[in-house]
Formats: sequence, structure tokens, C-alpha cells
Amino acid sequence: MRRLPPTIAVVDRQLCDECGLCMPLCPPAAIEMRREGLVVFAETCTGCGKCIAPCPVGALLMVPNPLLAATLPAA
Amino acid sequence: MSEERCDILVVGGGPAGLVAAREACAADSGLEVLVLERDRAVGAPVRCGEGVGSKGVAEFLDPAGANWISRRITRVIFWAPDGTEVRVAEGDVGYILDRTRFEPALAADAGREGAEIRTGTEVVGIARDGDGWIARTRGPRGEGTVRARFIIGADGVESMIGRWAGLDTRVPSRDMESCAQYVVSGIEFDPDAIYLHFGDQIAPGGYAWVFPKGVGVANVGLGLVALKADGRPAREWLHAYLDRYFPTGTRTGYTVGGVIVHTTVKRTVTDGLILCGDAAHMINPLSGGGIVTGMKAGRLAGRTAASALRDHDTSAARLQRYHSEWMSLMGDDHERFYRIKEALNKFDDEFYNRLARTVNGIAPDKRTLGRVFAQALMQHPSLLPVAARYFV
Repeated sequence: MRRLPPTIAVVDRQLCDECGLCMPLCPPAAIEMRREGLVVFAETCTGCGKCIAPCPVGALLMVPNPLLAATLPAA
Repeated sequence: MSEERCDILVVGGGPAGLVAAREACAADSGLEVLVLERDRAVGAPVRCGEGVGSKGVAEFLDPAGANWISRRITRVIFWAPDGTEVRVAEGDVGYILDRTRFEPALAADAGREGAEIRTGTEVVGIARDGDGWIARTRGPRGEGTVRARFIIGADGVESMIGRWAGLDTRVPSRDMESCAQYVVSGIEFDPDAIYLHFGDQIAPGGYAWVFPKGVGVANVGLGLVALKADGRPAREWLHAYLDRYFPTGTRTGYTVGGVIVHTTVKRTVTDGLILCGDAAHMINPLSGGGIVTGMKAGRLAGRTAASALRDHDTSAARLQRYHSEWMSLMGDDHERFYRIKEALNKFDDEFYNRLARTVNGIAPDKRTLGRVFAQALMQHPSLLPVAARYFV
């Protein structure tokens, strides 16, 4: 199993205009356009950040990997 | 869940896909050709500056009296970073399209030739199925499958068809222009000209444009390379640009998108499948123009698919002739343009300011792009290796 990246990309759907610019920038093809809007698949995202700056509306953000948080023991 | 069959499935109802469908049907009227478009209408929403050269577009639709032309353009005006204005190319330059009418006109042509155009339906995955393909679809009536003998991927900048088929269509960040555009009303400019505005403070790595839709109304937008843009998204650069240069205009429409300023992907075909248009990075990397190039590629793709099906040979080896024909038609030029773009990117604002003033010293009727480039060479001999590759 691969190491989970500490941070991954997420999309703010309120800002996203669904132009699809980020999709060919994503090396593992973790971003897909669905009827409900743009989706970044946390399981596939490597956290490389290549999609972040080119977004024309700043709708992509890096956040702490929720999959990592899920593996932490409950406090 | 519906299941249907066709000979050629065209994914994407933009200029490339619609021309591909029309040409395939025209080449062989017995072919069943289905075009699937994700959006609810072809041509909308508009994600484009809508400028085209007049010669190129006339190869595909008759511009005489056409309702899909917003404005006829007779000159090009460059603005240097310091505002120095350079007028070039007086004459029959091109058109600003109305894409909401242009694509329907192309779709109507494809329909007349026998293609079926279906909007509101997206392809969510493809897999090899014998000698053909099976595509999973999602539309207003739910999920379905289409078995196709052949797929033409014309699904634009966000193309997934290529990736699903094992073709590498990834784009490095530095070759992606981030664009934003408003339709702006109530501004003053020459309605017969397009304006291209360069500068590191305007649109780093790209340019801002004013493309007239009518008198006092224009698409005003910009494209930039994000890596050079101080972490501010394209929309913020455009707001700053409009505030400075068109503060009194009314912003009536808005769009954003990406333009791939790269070269044609190394592999555009695989068994039973061809990519064309933006999906295969078939865009002029200097201008960012992709409409006419996409249609030229679509025409080649449609004809190649029809002849391959007729001969019962849709192997990648057979389809490779599409790739080589495209490269001789435009792909090789795009590689030269890309090298020029790389060279021009090295220069600062002062270079362009000086160049603009020098070019203005040339008589207006002698201001060809060749002469402009020659002036650039005189000032910067480091461009020579690029020029040698370009002109040889």
C-alpha cells in the first residue's frame, strides 16, 4: 500500500466553474467531472499540488489528508 | 439501462467532433455516427474568446450572411506593455464568432449528412470490446452503454477519452494558460480590430485581448501562465485589468477555462480510436487558437475513421496515417511555434516596448509578421537559433 500524502487537493464547489482546466494537469487523473460537479478522489490524489495555482478562480485548495486523519486513533 | 450500437461514437460536440461526424458521414453514408455532448446544448456555455481566421473557417462553413458571425475583423492592434500601439494586418483578418450559433450550424450540417447529435449525455468510461469499444454513458434517461466499432475523442481540454484509452494527454503546468473573460458592454474601442495586450503586469506568459462582439461590446479576457502569476488566479488579474483599462464597462457575462499551449500529443491514435482537437493538444501555442485547428483535425479524423472501417482495419498501425497527415498539415508548424513561444518568453517588458517602437518605424503596409520578427532578431541575436529552425 502506498504512503498517504500529508495533504491533498479539494475543490470548493461554490467557486468552481467546471471548466476542466485542472483535469489534464493531474498526473494520476484523480480529478473527474461528474454531473454533480468536479470531484477530486482522495484515494488517488498524490498531493503534488500541480492543479492548485492554474485554477482560474482559485477553487482548488490543499488540505490535510482526511484519509490520514481517519487512521489516527480517537483522542 | 439502455444499450445501443453505432459505427462511430464521437465524444464531444465542439467544432472538432461535429466536423468529424459530418466528414465521416459524408465519406460513407452507410455509417451510423453518434455524437454525445455532455452539456445541454452544443455551443453553450461559451468557454472561448471566439476569434478565428477568415480563411480557415471558410473551409468548413460559408461565412456569407452567416448568423454565427458576431463581427468581421479587418485589423490587429498590438499593445506593448507601456501602451505603445502597433497596427498590423489591415485587410480581411477574421471573425469573432457567436459560438452559441456556430456549433448549432456545424451540428445541423452533421445532421443533414446523417449523424445523430445527442446533448445532455456524457461518457463516463470506455473499455475495449472485441475490435471495437463499449462506452458507459449517463444522460437524462439514466445510465446506458454504447457499443461502437470506432471512437473519435473530441472531448476538449478536459479530455478523459485519451487517458482511458492509454494515451498520454497530460499537460505540464507551464504549458497551460489559465484564462478568464468577461463580455463587457459600454466601452470604447475600434470595433473592426482585435486588440492583443502584452506585459508581465498584464498577463504574465500570455496576453490580454479585446475581441469585439459589436460596437461597444467585446469579449475582454486574458490568459496567463499560473507559475508566473504570483499565486493570484486569472480571474483576479482580469479584475485588475478591467478596473485599469475599462473601468466604466458593464460586465454582462463571465467565463473561465484553460488553453493548452503545448504541441500535439505524441500518440493521437490507438486501436479503433482517434483523438482530435483540444483533446490531442492541437492548438496553436503562440495564439492559443484552437477552433480552426480542431476542425481541420476533425475532418482528417472523420475521413480516416470512415476509410479504416470500410477496409475493416482499425488497427493503430493503419490509423497512424492520421497522425502523420496531421503533423504535416499543422502539427509540425505548432512545434515551431512552440519553440518561438519559448524564446519570446525569455524577454522582458522593455524588449517588447522597444520592439513596438521599432515596428512603428516600418510603413504600415509593410508590417508583415516576418518583418516584425526580423526587427526582433536585430535587437536580440539570441533569437537566431530559433529563427533558423523556424525558417529552414
